[in-house]
Amino acid sequence: MPKAFVPLTQFVNESKLTPREHPLDQPVARWTEEEVLGEEVVEAGVAILRTRGCYWSIKEGCSMCGYFNDTVPGGVSTDMLYSQWKKIRHSLKGKRYAKIYTSGSFLDPTEVPLDFANDVMSDMADMGIEKVLVESLPEFVHPKHFSYSNSPKIEIAIGLESSNPVVLDKSVNKRLLWPHFVKVCEIAHENGAEVKAYVLLKPPYLGERDAIEDAVQSATDAAPYVDKISINPVNVQKNTVVEKLWFRDEWTAPWLWSVVEVLERCKDLPAKVYSDPTGGGTRRGAHNCNDCNSKILDALKEHRLGHGNLKGLECECRPRWEVLKHQSSYRRNGAEPHGYRRGFGNGRRF
Amino acid sequence: MEPLAHEGLARLLQIDDSLQTPHVISREDLTDSQDLVSGGTIKIDKPVDLPPTPLGLDSNKAPYLQLSEEIAVLDNASSLQPQKLVECASHFRKEAGYSRLLYAPAVEPSDMPILAYLGVDVFDDLNVELRSATGWSLDSGSWTKVNTKTTDLQSQNREELERWLLKIRTSIMNGTLRELVEMTSLHNPRVSQILHHSTSLLIEKGARRNVMIRANNLSLENPSVVDFQQRLSDYVPPAKNMVLLVLPCSARKPYFKSSSHKRFYNTIKEVDNYLALHIVSVTSPLGLVPRELEFCYPAAHYDIAVTGDWSASEVQMLREQFSRLEPEKHYLKAIVHAGSSSRIITELLRERKVDTIDTEAEKPSSSEGLEILQEITRTAIAEIPVLSSKDRAKGEAIGLAKFQYGESSPFLTESEISGHMPYKLRCGDLATISPRVGGLGLTVAGAAKYAANGGPSITAEDFKLVGDLFAIGVKSYDGHWAIGDQVVIKQNGRVTGVGIAKMNPEEMISMGRGLAVEVRHHA
Repeated sequence: MPKAFVPLTQFVNESKLTPREHPLDQPVARWTEEEVLGEEVVEAGVAILRTRGCYWSIKEGCSMCGYFNDTVPGGVSTDMLYSQWKKIRHSLKGKRYAKIYTSGSFLDPTEVPLDFANDVMSDMADMGIEKVLVESLPEFVHPKHFSYSNSPKIEIAIGLESSNPVVLDKSVNKRLLWPHFVKVCEIAHENGAEVKAYVLLKPPYLGERDAIEDAVQSATDAAPYVDKISINPVNVQKNTVVEKLWFRDEWTAPWLWSVVEVLERCKDLPAKVYSDPTGGGTRRGAHNCNDCNSKILDALKEHRLGHGNLKGLECECRPRWEVLKHQSSYRRNGAEPHGYRRGFGNGRRF
Repeated sequence: MEPLAHEGLARLLQIDDSLQTPHVISREDLTDSQDLVSGGTIKIDKPVDLPPTPLGLDSNKAPYLQLSEEIAVLDNASSLQPQKLVECASHFRKEAGYSRLLYAPAVEPSDMPILAYLGVDVFDDLNVELRSATGWSLDSGSWTKVNTKTTDLQSQNREELERWLLKIRTSIMNGTLRELVEMTSLHNPRVSQILHHSTSLLIEKGARRNVMIRANNLSLENPSVVDFQQRLSDYVPPAKNMVLLVLPCSARKPYFKSSSHKRFYNTIKEVDNYLALHIVSVTSPLGLVPRELEFCYPAAHYDIAVTGDWSASEVQMLREQFSRLEPEKHYLKAIVHAGSSSRIITELLRERKVDTIDTEAEKPSSSEGLEILQEITRTAIAEIPVLSSKDRAKGEAIGLAKFQYGESSPFLTESEISGHMPYKLRCGDLATISPRVGGLGLTVAGAAKYAANGGPSITAEDFKLVGDLFAIGVKSYDGHWAIGDQVVIKQNGRVTGVGIAKMNPEEMISMGRGLAVEVRHHA
């Protein structure tokens, strides 16, 4: 494992709070969303299992990740996982695509027991679900962790975050090694799974332009080894380093224009690159000015579903973004003056 | 680089013939780093390396500055919490030393005066560029939205920013930077908070400049004012069992030179045993100024609009000053002859159980007022033990020395005291009254004793000291001082001079040029 950057490790640990108590027999959330399956757009069922959570977040954790807030530090018994599953499977009826998240790694057997995972997978296969997406840290992508007796097609999403070791070490606090990532992508493919990589846009401390360059470079590096790349603009989650920096005005969420630029520059890569910004259009998520947020978010959705391109998007705030991008690396943090995105006018927000 | 002037923690530095700090660079003077590990360059007189950006660091934890060979960077200067920023400022020179320039990236023009006051040397125009791009025009540090499309807003704003920095530099030269900071703080809560929290840091480490304080309500927090008020606790009146005479302040400083105070003095001089009267003037923003301290900065260096009204905060300040003076311990009784302030002062004295007579003269320096004053003082001091002029002079010297030199003051007052206030008071051959120093100024003999009693001293190179001492001639130093304090100069283990410090301790070592000590006496 690469060496830790000690100050950031401390900062991450100090930012965290013990999660409050949660009902153990309820999943964190369930919803449906539109997704692409093969060439078609289908309605996908999504659920988040409440588990013990990510082993890394128990040890240290990543600077932007607040998913530990939804976890149960003492762990969740297998019985309780089955009662959660009962509620989830109900909402997956008739779906062809499912996404089963945990606030950690689905493939970590100490977080999600192998027998339980096996039952869930065969249940989904019986329900006629064709493809299932799970998330995992690369260290758990091992054939014995996903060789189910019967299952839909498995898609493993791995948080690469960045292919730059400096960003991983000093901004994200993730001890991922690039050669290891490449290796697990191969292992997944050899064992019949697809791989989706998450790439961060604007992790903490980075300015707008460095962030765009890092995301484009990471996507370019990862594209030959994965099937899909999701560009994830960093959003402000509770009790994280990112939230602290955001409260202190040392970092702001990226512009949607930056998302558009990254996707435009990645359109010819061998993997499909798209983005579904969490919290898009809010202060805690990627946003532009109030006038164009929803327009850009709609365009991103169309792009993700393969219906349209990102050409011809315009707004008054776009030249402002250009000016900021130009000078962002001289500002030495990820912040900008309050109200800049709306031109310091009398708008309500941003 | 050569320091030309200091105020607070601000420095006016001459970098080369045409360049002085505080200085503003433009974006074209910056170059980008090729990776995240290095920091790019900044061109001040020539391009130098910047330290890398503070990736992964917590801005609330020391060290607060990022350092390269020649530059120290205060990142997040525009967003640090006011109290935190002041705490950082107290670490600036410890972390950066005096030979590095301190650069604060991306700050608003309105924050520049206060940041300069706390020690920042270099700013940039990044925020001005963002404002220009959205159609705002800069005017004396604040922004106005312009409706008409101006083609050249960026270069206009850039010029205005240069003028703003020129104003900051001129203010440091004239010692009026605090006024500029107070002006920018008026409708800027962030600047006022920073200013509020920086008072004690400025008292502790700020340069003392004997410039006129043109006072207003904000001056109650002026570090020189607060320092004077706090040190009143060290002061003791000249003798026990005196009668306190509270008089109004005057526009002319020191007060004893004003026509009103001359008339007061001529009036009471005719009363027997008038030496048992101790004159204390009441004023804002200083509060109480005993006669012996009228030379001490800033008692002789302020000006305030006289309204005749005392605000609640001023009354509270006066109450606090009385609790420092402790009149009930030192005086048998008090006479208040302060015109419109008399009622408040009488109340405050009675709060402290002091036997107080209010002369109730509405115009204290009119002939009627003076008549009443003479009448009342005559009866009031008739039965007071006689105070000789010798005892009184001794007491005056002790009170003043304690106020100026604190704990170590006995080294001065154990000598033979002669003369009397204001101008002729002497402590043997150790010290005489000096308006330039603002109180008792040391002679070379006094300086030797001062150094032996823990006073700050500078060891200079071995050369014949004539005139002032420059930084190049300073070898080492001992003790602490702020700019404006008296320091002792030693050469080859012998005291060869005494004067007023013009640089901070460590700065004298770091700087190759500039005036270090204004020497008052040579051996």
